[in-house]
Amino acid sequence: MSAATSTPVVTSPGRRPRYLAIAVTAAQQAVAYRINTVAGIIGNFFWIAILYYLWRAAFAETTRIGSFTWSEMRTYILLAFGLNALIGFPTASRMMYAIRTGDIVIDMVRPLNYLRTQLAQVAGAAVLEGVTSFTIILALGIGVVQILPPASPFAAVLFVISVAMGFVTKFLFVFLVALLCFWTINAVGLNWAQLAVVNVLSGTLVPIELLPGWLRPVAEWSPLRGIVATPVGVYLGQDTGWDLTLMLGLQASWLVLLWTAADRAWPRAFRAVEIQGG
Amino acid sequence: MPIIEARGLTKRFRRPVKPPGLGGALRHLVRPRYEDLTAVDGIDLSIEPGERVAYVGPNGAGKSTTVKLLTGILVPSDGEVRVRGIVPFANRIANARNIGVVFGQRTQLWWDIPVREAFRLLGDIYEVPDDAYRATVGELVEVLDLAPLLPVPARQLSLGQRMRCDLAASLIHSPPVLYLDEPTIGLDVAVKARFREFIRTMHARRGLTVLLTSHDLGDIEELCERMVMIDRGRIVYDGPFAELTRRFGYERSLHLLFSAPLPEAERVIHRAIGERAPVIIVQPDETSVTLTFDGRETSAGELIRDLATALPVADLRIEEPTAESIIRKLYEGTLSFDGADRSDRQAIRT
Ligand SMILES: Nc1ncnc2c1ncn2[C@@H]1O[C@H](COP(=O)(O)OP(=O)(O)OP(=O)(O)O)[C@@H](O)[C@H]1O
Ligand SMILES: [Mg+2]
Repeated sequence: MSAATSTPVVTSPGRRPRYLAIAVTAAQQAVAYRINTVAGIIGNFFWIAILYYLWRAAFAETTRIGSFTWSEMRTYILLAFGLNALIGFPTASRMMYAIRTGDIVIDMVRPLNYLRTQLAQVAGAAVLEGVTSFTIILALGIGVVQILPPASPFAAVLFVISVAMGFVTKFLFVFLVALLCFWTINAVGLNWAQLAVVNVLSGTLVPIELLPGWLRPVAEWSPLRGIVATPVGVYLGQDTGWDLTLMLGLQASWLVLLWTAADRAWPRAFRAVEIQGG
Repeated sequence: MPIIEARGLTKRFRRPVKPPGLGGALRHLVRPRYEDLTAVDGIDLSIEPGERVAYVGPNGAGKSTTVKLLTGILVPSDGEVRVRGIVPFANRIANARNIGVVFGQRTQLWWDIPVREAFRLLGDIYEVPDDAYRATVGELVEVLDLAPLLPVPARQLSLGQRMRCDLAASLIHSPPVLYLDEPTIGLDVAVKARFREFIRTMHARRGLTVLLTSHDLGDIEELCERMVMIDRGRIVYDGPFAELTRRFGYERSLHLLFSAPLPEAERVIHRAIGERAPVIIVQPDETSVTLTFDGRETSAGELIRDLATALPVADLRIEEPTAESIIRKLYEGTLSFDGADRSDRQAIRT
């Protein structure tokens, strides 16, 4: 009792906005997962190396593949993996795990909107996990791979906006997939499937314009292109004028649509199947 | 006006029926079959502000499900429920501000975050004003002696330490209602005692309304003036804990020790007491016997008078039922002399 009064153990550094506080805590938590982050970076590094050497071999014969020059392709590979790393495999696993084990009840007894809480957590973690790997990859890019600078200052600004929209798009996609965990036990399988679909349709593995026939139109109009293809396209200045507006408009529309879908799907999924465990 | 009110509250779970094996799984995919399981079955409950209610019942009785219905994270299949006038599932967020919850098997702390940070985050989430935060957390830290634990991340806490922090975490926003779902599970005697002391203190200081589920009779006896017992989703007893022994404590036992072996004691006893009252006779060996009788029908004194001359009684002991034995028998449905099968016990409730 005396200890509590003589030395103030409870300091109050002031109130923070709720969702910001959640994001900050998630970032602190992510520090504890730094091994995961490092593992993620190493994994991404291998992908980048493999694709780098594959494409370099391909460009030995020619100066252009599709609309890409070799320096554009290098830039594309690097940015693509950097962006895709912003919401990593562990983040998606955590979301699914909370549903599987019923740990979401803890979030649900609080006066919080679940979708926003999750977004705040993912964003907080991404600031640490994602930004670390993104920065390392970018450093690598500028130092070793020698990527191109943004097409213009205007492109750079739009790139940042597009990355932010892409980030939320990926979050919403992962969130919607995670909801399937209410029905299936196989969260790991679901996560791998999610990863594969995102890697292909977002244009991470191969730029969308180089995808085989039937897949291409799907990827071109899918919401997932907003995660990688659209922001990187903006960075490289591939689209201008009307095309650029269309791309960003498509990205924004999908974002709104996915948000609405997630917001509505969540309570339904939650109610359709009950929370697990005593 | 009651602070918690439920009328006909019912929760049915729909469970997929999957025949075993891969074939069964496939068959389930083609033609899914479900069975309904009624976890909470028409519960009427009315709790006044400041009451401390123990919510007990055997495993799977529906206690946790009721708590989840009261927090609004489950939607009732039928019936009505209000907590402070709010329908929890329809207005989960408004309800959340009024309640604190501790689930014994889950922590609400963050695994890798120091306890102090977790408290601060909760203060932010519930938008507790600065000075209220300092006062409340200061009090909780003092009463639960948490000062040494504040810089420790949750994963490094022992179960008892974690429980203390979880309790504090559930009260940071000073809710008027506190649900505790098996809060003392796995705690040692000293920590349990401290937990009970804490709840009593908080109750006295804040007039907290407490609903507690526990399998520990000590929790119930020491903390709660009222006990609600459920079995298979239905209330089988609702009343003061002390009343339980009075009401169901009619089953007495008389142990007799003989001075000489007496193999046929049962026959002798029946002859001696005649039609006085039904007794259950168990003779574990030749020199002793146990008679179980209904205290409402006859008394130990009358039985002893009848038997003292007929049997070579050397020593005797009368056993009064304990709350524990009564509760065990209610759970098992093995109260003698009551014809106490499960449907009858419905009628017992007040
Ligand atoms: N999500 C669920 N889906 C299907 N059935 C469930 C679900 N949750 C609980 N049940 C069932 O409902 C019944 C009541 O469960 P509940 O967890 O409320 O029991 P309890 O009284 O808390 O038991 P315990 O003392 O073991 O914690 C059980 O038969 C349980 O199997
Ligand atoms: Mg339970």
